[in-house]
Amino acid sequence: MTALSAQVLEEIRELPAKYPQSRSAVMPALDLAQEEMGHLTPEAMTEVAQALQLDPGYVEGVATFYSLFHLEPVGKHRFYVCTNLSCMLRGANEIVDHVRQAIGVSGSEQVSPDGLFSYEEVECLGACEYAPMMRLDHEYHYDLTTQTIDELITQRRSPTPLAPTLSPGGERVKKPRAPRKKKADG
Amino acid sequence: MAELRGSSGEAPNHILTRWFGTPDLHRLETYASKAGGYSAMRKALLDMAPADITNEVKTSGLRGRGGAGFATGTKWSFINRDAPGPKYVVVNADESEPGTAKDRYILENSPHMVVEGILIAAYAVGANQAWVYIRGEYDRPYRMLTEAIEEARAKGYIGPKPFGKEYPLDIRLYRGHGAYICGEETALLESLEGKRAQPRSRPPFPAVKGAWGRPTLLNNVETLATVPAILNMGGAEYAKLGTAKSPGTRLLTVSGNVRKPGVYEVELGKTFRHVIMELAGGPPEGRKVKVFWPGGSSAPVLPESMLDTTTDMEALAAARSMGGSGGVIVMDDTHCVVKAAHRLLKFYAYESCGKCTPCRVGGDWAVRTYERILAGQGSQVELDILQRVSDGLQNGRCLCGLGDSAGWVIDSTLRHFREEYEDHALRHECNVGAVMASA
Ligand SMILES: Cc1cc2nc3c(=O)[nH]c(=O)nc-3n(C[C@H](O)[C@H](O)[C@H](O)COP(=O)(O)O)c2cc1C
Ligand code: SF4
Ligand code: FES
Repeated sequence: MTALSAQVLEEIRELPAKYPQSRSAVMPALDLAQEEMGHLTPEAMTEVAQALQLDPGYVEGVATFYSLFHLEPVGKHRFYVCTNLSCMLRGANEIVDHVRQAIGVSGSEQVSPDGLFSYEEVECLGACEYAPMMRLDHEYHYDLTTQTIDELITQRRSPTPLAPTLSPGGERVKKPRAPRKKKADG
Repeated sequence: MAELRGSSGEAPNHILTRWFGTPDLHRLETYASKAGGYSAMRKALLDMAPADITNEVKTSGLRGRGGAGFATGTKWSFINRDAPGPKYVVVNADESEPGTAKDRYILENSPHMVVEGILIAAYAVGANQAWVYIRGEYDRPYRMLTEAIEEARAKGYIGPKPFGKEYPLDIRLYRGHGAYICGEETALLESLEGKRAQPRSRPPFPAVKGAWGRPTLLNNVETLATVPAILNMGGAEYAKLGTAKSPGTRLLTVSGNVRKPGVYEVELGKTFRHVIMELAGGPPEGRKVKVFWPGGSSAPVLPESMLDTTTDMEALAAARSMGGSGGVIVMDDTHCVVKAAHRLLKFYAYESCGKCTPCRVGGDWAVRTYERILAGQGSQVELDILQRVSDGLQNGRCLCGLGDSAGWVIDSTLRHFREEYEDHALRHECNVGAVMASA
């Protein structure tokens, strides 16, 4: 029994051919694994490594470097609130406080008790003219107010199924940012 | 799509943004019929020798819009077009410099302009394949670029015989995964090769040994998006815009405490007073500009008294700052410089790749020092530490520009706002009324 489905493993084995050198497939492969699992478990990373004929330690080293790979469970909907300077100057810290309170996380927690939401503060998302802003799942939201946050949360709590968040170009996309990476040691 | 905030429509200085706002500009048909799209590529492939294209870009005086401002035509000429084996164009669409949103603005408004620029560059330097490294959070720009590439492929502009010319061209996309350092060109190449994004030492330069060990031209999105316009209007005509050493126009992202934040196309040589007070409407009613970052968070700050500094690279260098990524962050007098510097140091400490010691250790040291100062526990010792850390980060002590940038934030805010630092560290007060112990 593998952590990843046979189909995903097959897709991963086909990736290296798309790149001038096979190693470039490691991140797209981790995307596929994360999409299936929600976050990257040690087993999933080992299976990715085997499928790509790489060392498991190497794959884990890559996964831990990049913040969009999740090594811990995340919520079904994920808030990424920008708190860098342009957003901070226009009230990002209040937005963060409001999101935390509205989804019910406290202290260093990042996932709501019901598992529906998780939240993270992130660095500049390249949409500073719309500050304060955030990414919710795969979509940007601009000119945030506490009211827009409440509306977005209510929509996602409502029992009517939402249209699935489409991945760009109909292609698979990575899930957002993981807990803080630890520094590299060279 | 969100409301367009910034330049669009016809104006003498709108070289890039002239057609922005045209409905469906992102479709090839509209880009071609309304904006004359792909006429520059046709001309390049059918009427020009590759060396002529590079020369035209040299004549234009275009300088890279990614951060360093290197002469684009000169960079193109570093690639040995006749060397056997694959060569690549790699497009830097990682845009993560705090305060910068202009590549997103281009990609969302006119993705074909980028595609056209990439294809021209590839032909000019003798590459058959281009890779766009785009930051992972840019879902919408990624989708729009993907669609534009598909449209160009369907037309044959991407494929074995673009415009009937025996010169195969291809563009592929590679998504980033959340790491500021991937914007640094050699870290980007490491990442593209499936590794942790830690900068390489140079030489060898990417022009000789770049992506997958092959000669590689690496340019920013805006740089390449400017190329079609240069071929259409002629390099000499483009060079008439802007200043002699910083010709042309560039996109400035104006954000922070202004009434009309947006991405404005500005002829180089205009003053920041024009950009901030006129284009972006200045700070909110009753407030004053206190400080601005003229080229992204990495560019040393300038105080209000230097608003008449001009936007060309020479004037900025003389003011001990730089044009950087064109991200103009404006902060008004209701905000605290020490807190802003603390926030940016947290960014640099978090994003350090950890490869060199001054950057890995210095960033965290600075953050902890700022925290003591903001908690009302500062003294002269803390101010001295900040200066020492800042010195240690600069002047080539680090492998890449991230270390310098972190140092510049400390150094430039200390230089221009010494008194505000002393208020905090020595007198334990904040003159804009923020609560000191809340840090
Ligand atoms: C820490 C760091 C981050 C950078 N981030 C970016 C970026 O996000 N986008 C970009 O185009 N250039 C960035 N640069 C500059 C690139 O290294 C490189 O100079 C540029 O992409 C070259 O393209 P150009 O000549 O067209 O400007 C960064 C540089 C450093 C040191
Ligand atoms: S300066 Fe910092 S980010 Fe750049 S290579 Fe050194 S440790 Fe990495
Ligand atoms: S600072 Fe928030 S999007 Fe740039």
